[in-house]
Parts: sequence; structure tokens; C-alpha cells
Amino acid sequence: MHYRKHRLLVPFLAPALILYGVFVLWPYTQALYVAFTGWRGMSPNKPFVGLANFRKLAADDVFWNALGHNALMLLGLPVTVLSIALVLAALTLQGIRAGGSAYRVVFFFPQVMSAVVIGVLWNFVFHPNIGLLNGALGSLGLGGLKRTWLGDPGLVLWAIFAVAVWAGVGFFVVYFVAGMQSIPGDLYEAARLDGANPWQAFWGITLPLLRDHLQVALIFVGLGALDLFVLVQVMAEGGGPSRAADVVARYMVDVAFGQSQFGYATAIGVVLLVLSLTLSFAMFRLTRRERLEF
Amino acid sequence: MSTIQFDAATRQFPGSARPAVDGLNLDIADGEFLVLVGPSGCGKSTSLRMLAGLEEVDEGAIRIGDREVTHLPPKERDIAMVFQNYALYPHMSVADNMGFALKIAGMSKDEIRTRVKEAAAILDLGEFLDRKPKALSGGQRQRVAMGRAIVRNPQAFLMDEPLSNLDAKLRVQTRTQIAALQRRLGTTTVYVTHDQVEAMTMGDRVAVLKDGLLQQVGTPRDLYDRPDNVFVGGFIGSPAMNLVRVVLTTDGAQLGERPVPMKRGVRAALATEGAEDATLGFRPESVEVVAPGQGFPFEVVVVEELGSDSFAYGNLVGHGQEDGTTLLTVRVDARRPPAKGEVIHLRIREGEEHVFSRRTGQRLSAD
Repeated sequence: MHYRKHRLLVPFLAPALILYGVFVLWPYTQALYVAFTGWRGMSPNKPFVGLANFRKLAADDVFWNALGHNALMLLGLPVTVLSIALVLAALTLQGIRAGGSAYRVVFFFPQVMSAVVIGVLWNFVFHPNIGLLNGALGSLGLGGLKRTWLGDPGLVLWAIFAVAVWAGVGFFVVYFVAGMQSIPGDLYEAARLDGANPWQAFWGITLPLLRDHLQVALIFVGLGALDLFVLVQVMAEGGGPSRAADVVARYMVDVAFGQSQFGYATAIGVVLLVLSLTLSFAMFRLTRRERLEF
Repeated sequence: MSTIQFDAATRQFPGSARPAVDGLNLDIADGEFLVLVGPSGCGKSTSLRMLAGLEEVDEGAIRIGDREVTHLPPKERDIAMVFQNYALYPHMSVADNMGFALKIAGMSKDEIRTRVKEAAAILDLGEFLDRKPKALSGGQRQRVAMGRAIVRNPQAFLMDEPLSNLDAKLRVQTRTQIAALQRRLGTTTVYVTHDQVEAMTMGDRVAVLKDGLLQQVGTPRDLYDRPDNVFVGGFIGSPAMNLVRVVLTTDGAQLGERPVPMKRGVRAALATEGAEDATLGFRPESVEVVAPGQGFPFEVVVVEELGSDSFAYGNLVGHGQEDGTTLLTVRVDARRPPAKGEVIHLRIREGEEHVFSRRTGQRLSAD
């Protein structure tokens, strides 16, 4: 019986496993080696340089500057995106009953747009002369608040942060709504009879019962905060003024394809991989508890 | 503890042709255990949820004690409810589940602990206080749900089929425990069930509902001995009351080959109605076996021996029944049950027959 079951499994699993092996695992393995070479990307010849790339990286101010920005995003994005998504999800389910599902569709729009398109779109919004934002501020009589949003080293990172929030919230609204809908309704009735107001029911019931969803969402947004390549590339070319919005992924692409230092760029990639894995692992461990059953 | 009053309370669900609960009038005394019983869709759960504040009241009023609560939110009604699925908070320990309402009410941690411990002692839950609901058996979960209600010491307990998720044996056991606990605490209780045995065994009074309408309310004995209509007669009692269509004669009715005398008052009522037939009801234990010629003949099809009782299922000989598949049930001597296929002769004990109008379904009484 077991033997026959395995025979059936193999043809179904094999294509996926082979593709994963060839296009994911093998490049990763290669990258691990390339990171220890001085490869320039053109020749087949990859001179082994030991830890030289990593030593260089440790002293590379551009890298540390970019990593610092990723760290800021990592601190800010998950909390902001998930809080807003939670509130909107709760509202579409409870507060605004009429048209709640229409809102969910609208919130999801950014998710179906390519990140490049989102970046281009917001470039227009932030444009100092013809941009929607400055225009709106002007017509509201708040002309004093007009800025060159993407040209100001003090603002550019936070402008991109805002766009990342805008682009990310919708997906998690839908995700949290699905999670909230799986919580049995009689728990809320019991809570109402126990005297809980909607706010207490949210903190006492919804949030604890959404823990699995929150955990997954945290990891997703966290990994997203370590990337941000597309938005930065489109909205702040070259990392923005004074590299004020640079992130590691953009620097890595620049080093590889702009400066043809593939060995060094791969070393940056390996560091990024280690950071991502550490982050996921840490989040799983920190938030792990026994599973809940309804 | 408090009285509860439904005053022509009506609930009409949007888009539904008739009200789910239609003009319910019900006075529940302080400390009373009242059972709402009826088939599914009869409006019993809706009535309870209206009392809880989980369902709107479209017309009429509901009062708890002297307070009108018709449009108050649940938390201002000071009532506790036990749900069919218990609705225990899965992420909280038993103690936290029981103490949640007290915590919301802003009670001190020490007092919460004391009251939870007291309630846990009553329900024999002391050793489970630190467990999560998923680590409990069905019966234990049911007791936690009870504990969550009693720890609050509310004006009234509302219970929505709290035993329906237990197995048969545990259900009988828990039934007695809940009834005993209610007597001990003396808290007014409204209990919803579809099981008429639960209703009869637990309630001080039982209210029978059908299609959103209150059919009859009374003590279990009342309902059993004097059902107001055919529905209550057939619903209350197990095995169910036999209901037979009979053709009227001058001094009674014809049942099988035998005339059945009817009281003068009943005959008069039927005559006023201009009826030519009536529904005769008699309980399985209301018949006695008599010698041939003195009672109506009854052909036994199946005999069920339950030890203390035996029931014979069969047909009236020579009586055209509308529904040929429904067998009549009579209780027979457990020591000497008749054989299958045997014809026995039966007589309804005097005064134990029930006559209902065919037209209205209402009971026709002699007085």
C-alpha cells in the first residue's frame, strides 16, 4: 500500500522538485561559492579570494548606510502595515457593514499592480511642480508644507516608506479578514454577554486568535523590508540624494551590474540571505506557542 | 435573581414571510426553571436570543425584574448564557474563561480568583483551572460553560441546548446536575431544548412553541395530562400519544368496531362546531387489555420489551386510518406481552381520552 502510494506521489512531485532544484537550490549553491571569488561576470574564470569580499564589506560605508535604512524599514514597516491592516480589516467586517466587501476589493488594488507601476505612479504624486501632493497642499492653503519629497535627503526614505505601506496594507487586510472570519461568531456573542465592548472583544478575542496570521504576516513584511529594491530603484535612482534612501538590494544590483563586481555583489547577497533566514527563524521562535483549536 | 416577562415580543427576520417569534407572552417567576421546547425552527432559540439581547425585538417588550430591557445591549441586562457549542475562548485557560466577565467588569484579581475557585468547586473543575479548553472532554467543557455563567451571579441563566453535544449517557447525568444546581442557586433560568424528555424532567414549567407561536405553557404534569391542542398532545410524551380520526355517533364516536362514549360537554362542543368527526388521543399507558367483545380489537405488529415496560405497536382492526404507516402504541404487561400478529382487545380508561377538534386542533373539554 505504502509502496504504491509513493509510486503515485513521485510523478506529481518530481517536476516541482526538479525546477526548484535547478533554478533555486543550484544558483544558491553557486552563489555561496562565487561570494568567495573575485569574479567580474564576463570571463569563465573565477579567482578564489577567500574572505576578502566579506572583509571589504565590513569596511564599506555605502553598504552600512544601506543596511541602516533596511533596519529602519524593518523597525517601522511591519508595525505600521499590520496595524493599519488590522484596523481596516476589523472595520470592513464590523464597522462599515454596507459595502464592506467593496472596500476589501479596493484595498486589494495595489496588490495587483506591479511594483514598478506603483513606483512610477507615486513619482508623479510626489513631483515637486506637477505632483498631486504638493498641488493638494497648495489648494488646501498649506503651501508652506510643500516639499521636494524625493529630492530631500531627510524625506526621501520616508516617502518611500509611505508608498511601501500603501502598497502592502491591502493584501494583509484581505488576509486578516479571512482570519477573522474563521473565528466562530458565538465567541463574540459570549464576549458581548460577558460585557466586553467592541474594543475589548478585539483585544481579548480577535487579536489572540489571529496570532498565527500575525506571525506569517510579520515574516512577510519583515522580508519585504529587507528588500524594497524596486521602489527604491524607481523612486530614488542611485539610492536617492546623498544615498539617503539606499537599500542593500539596490546597492547589490549596482555593484553587480553597474560596477561588474559579481563576486563582491554575491557576497552582499549571501549576507542578505543570512539576515533573512535569521529574521524568519527568530520570528518563528519568538512567536511560537501551542496551536489553538476552535 | 429576577422575574422575566415577554410581553407580545415579536421578531420578524427581514425577508421572511412570517415572524420567527410571534407575539410571545410569557411570565417567568423569580427562581423558576422554565424550558422552551419545540421542533427545530419553532422560534425557541430566537426567543432566548431576544432575551439575551443578541437578537432584536421588532414589536412588544421584554422585562427583567422591573427593568424594561427590550432595546438594551446584552451587557446591560445582567444575564449569563450557556451556548450550544459552549463558546469557550480557546486561547484562555479555564480560570480565565470563567473570570473574563469579571475582569471586564473591573473586579480585582484577588476577588476574581476567589469567585472562580468557588464556582470551580461547585462544578468539580478545581483541577482543570489551568487547562485550555482543547485539553478538556466534552462534559468538562460543558461544565466550564456553566461555570462561566454562575461565576457572575447574574439575574438569570439562559441556556441554549447546552446538552446537545454530549453523548446520551452523559446527557442524562448532566441533565440532573444542571437541574439540581439551579435549585441550589435559585437563579431564574430559561432553558431551550428540542428534546421533550429534557423539557419534562428539568423544567418547573414548560413552554411549547411551534412556528413562532406559543402553544401552551404549564407544569410538565399539566402538559402531559391536559394538552391544549393536538400538537402539544403529540409532542409531549414518549412514546407519543396515539391520535386517531374518529367518526362521531350520537353518544360518542366509533373507534374500530367499538363505540367510545364521550362526555356531554365534549359532544356539545363538537355539535356547535358542526363537526362530523374528531381527533381522539390516548396515551400508550391509558389502555387496558380486556376480554374479547368488551374493547376494540388491536392487531399487534411489533412488540418492544424494555424490561420495566413493554410496548405493542399495531393497527386498529376495522378502522380506516388516514396514514396507514403510523402504528398505534399501547403499553402492555411487561411480564406477559402479546405475541406478534396476535389480536388483543383494549379499552381506554375512563377520563384518560383526549378529544381535539379536527378543524382547530384545540382540545375539547367536558367542562
